[in-house]
Amino acid sequence: MNIFLTGATGYVGHELALALARKGDMVHILARDLSSPNIPRHENILVFKGDITDRNSIHVAMSDCAQVYHIAALVKIFDKHRSAFYKMNVDGTNNVLAEAIECGATKFVFTSTCGVIGNSVTVPKSENDPRTTGFNNEYEFTKSLAEDLVKEYSTKGISTVIVALSKVFGPGINTHPITVNKVIKRFLNGRPTFIPAPGSYVSNYCFIKDVVAGHQLAMAHGRTGEKYILGGENICYRDLFTKIRALSGTKALLLETPRILVQLWTVLQWIRYKLTGKEPLATLSGVKHIFCNKMFTSEKAIRELHYHLTPLGEALNETIRYLNNDPNE
Amino acid sequence: MNNNLYCLITGASEGFGRALALECASRKMNLVLVALAGPELNFLADFIRRNYEVEVVALAADLCSEEQCNQLYQTICDRNLPVNMLINNAGLGSTMLFGEGNIAFYQKQVQLNVMATTLLTRLFLEILKANAPSYILNVGSLSCFFALPKKQVYGATKSFIYSFSRSLCAELKEDRVHVSVICPGGMNTNNSVTLLARSSGFISRMSIMNPEEVAGIAISGLLSRKEVILSGRLNRTFLLLNALLPGCIKNMITNRHMRNLASVTSPGTNQSSLHLVQKLNLARQ
Repeated sequence: MNIFLTGATGYVGHELALALARKGDMVHILARDLSSPNIPRHENILVFKGDITDRNSIHVAMSDCAQVYHIAALVKIFDKHRSAFYKMNVDGTNNVLAEAIECGATKFVFTSTCGVIGNSVTVPKSENDPRTTGFNNEYEFTKSLAEDLVKEYSTKGISTVIVALSKVFGPGINTHPITVNKVIKRFLNGRPTFIPAPGSYVSNYCFIKDVVAGHQLAMAHGRTGEKYILGGENICYRDLFTKIRALSGTKALLLETPRILVQLWTVLQWIRYKLTGKEPLATLSGVKHIFCNKMFTSEKAIRELHYHLTPLGEALNETIRYLNNDPNE
Repeated sequence: MNNNLYCLITGASEGFGRALALECASRKMNLVLVALAGPELNFLADFIRRNYEVEVVALAADLCSEEQCNQLYQTICDRNLPVNMLINNAGLGSTMLFGEGNIAFYQKQVQLNVMATTLLTRLFLEILKANAPSYILNVGSLSCFFALPKKQVYGATKSFIYSFSRSLCAELKEDRVHVSVICPGGMNTNNSVTLLARSSGFISRMSIMNPEEVAGIAISGLLSRKEVILSGRLNRTFLLLNALLPGCIKNMITNRHMRNLASVTSPGTNQSSLHLVQKLNLARQ
């Protein structure tokens, strides 16, 4: 079968493209730069020059594809050009959806984020739970707008399904300045690691291999117009790093950092941005969303898609082994 | 607060109403949530039950219908729910030239913003008196202090709410029923409104608040028996400037600001998000 996939030069898309290709499907992908080292290489992967803001390039690459995975997005907290988020995440998603209808694709899986569902209160959040706060960054807001579009298209003659990922980790390419992998790698290398104080804030971490399988399960079994959280275990920062320390034997310091220091850091980042143009990794208004719980349950995906969660210890072990041997680091 | 008492919130399923419901739940108040029939109401009720130790009753009603307002009251009486806080939040917003709207829309807006508030307050008055000390929170708007183009009918309905609340506050003091009116400025209540806010100028963008912040201010103000509750430093500055600046300068500012605002009504069901993104040129600035 021919499958069209966007975001193949990103972390999740790269792994999913390879998994599909290994299964024997022909995977059509887009790349802005045909010589990019992040392009997944496999005999079943066909690379087309283009990107999701260019509808023609999508049209050419998508012909004869029955299934579409739309993973590409602008993933960061801040961009100099606010419009970039709307162009990529909203207009781009609309381009892929419109072309999917035009090219006669029958099923569409859209990769979104648990950030759209927002922070949790006392128990893990599920797909239908309301947000308790407004959006504090353009990334999550534009992903929410894109989800609205994807749901809208589910009534226009294509079966669309949304998958929402939490914090993804595990073997794969490195494409962002802050990732769970990078933080773990620094910790393994013995560098002091800063976590929010108190270290008891809980987040959800999903293993890349579960997520890759989860996408394929959503394509096969996902119900039209539905959303599925593809998450992992909920664990607090302190326990997560204690676990990594026990598994790896690293002696790195774990520093619980009070909110005021993180706020100061974001202010310094902002000053540096104003002086040098280097985009900040976090913003002052986003700090309160670091100091909170982000617990999610994948129960719906487990029930309806037979989504599988690799036990955290096992997943961390594999990740630690990978990061310790990663030649690219 | 007595644990058996209930707070009734209208228009609770989204936006400011939802934020008020979450704020009250976090303060351990039992809730009666009223909204148009739809899955969101039950999702919210279910979420609050799982996360906060409070009782939640969800009732679907279209408050534009007088009959359904009466039915709602009857249901509360039949179930014997001791309500001691009434939050009249349900309302229909709009930003459009008077000529752009049709009379059916304006009738609905007046019916919901003015009549439903009046009717529910009248219906629940005896229950509130019986459970005193009680509270009524009415949701006005910052726009009832300014003469804004594109806000004629909406602004007038909120001016009604403002006068109604202040008069009622004076009247009900002896019955230990306190009445507050909150006059919020712009809020990010749903994706369409948030999009509009993103496309407005720097100062108005800075003045726009998230509903959860305003909800905290509203409930604190209500419980400390403030008569008029304002939210946000910048919004208070607008009011101060309004009192100080000469009329001609104010007109210049408001006219310039409102001309640039695209026309919409809330809830933003008449325009899709994509349509707004394209109309507001957000992807091409």
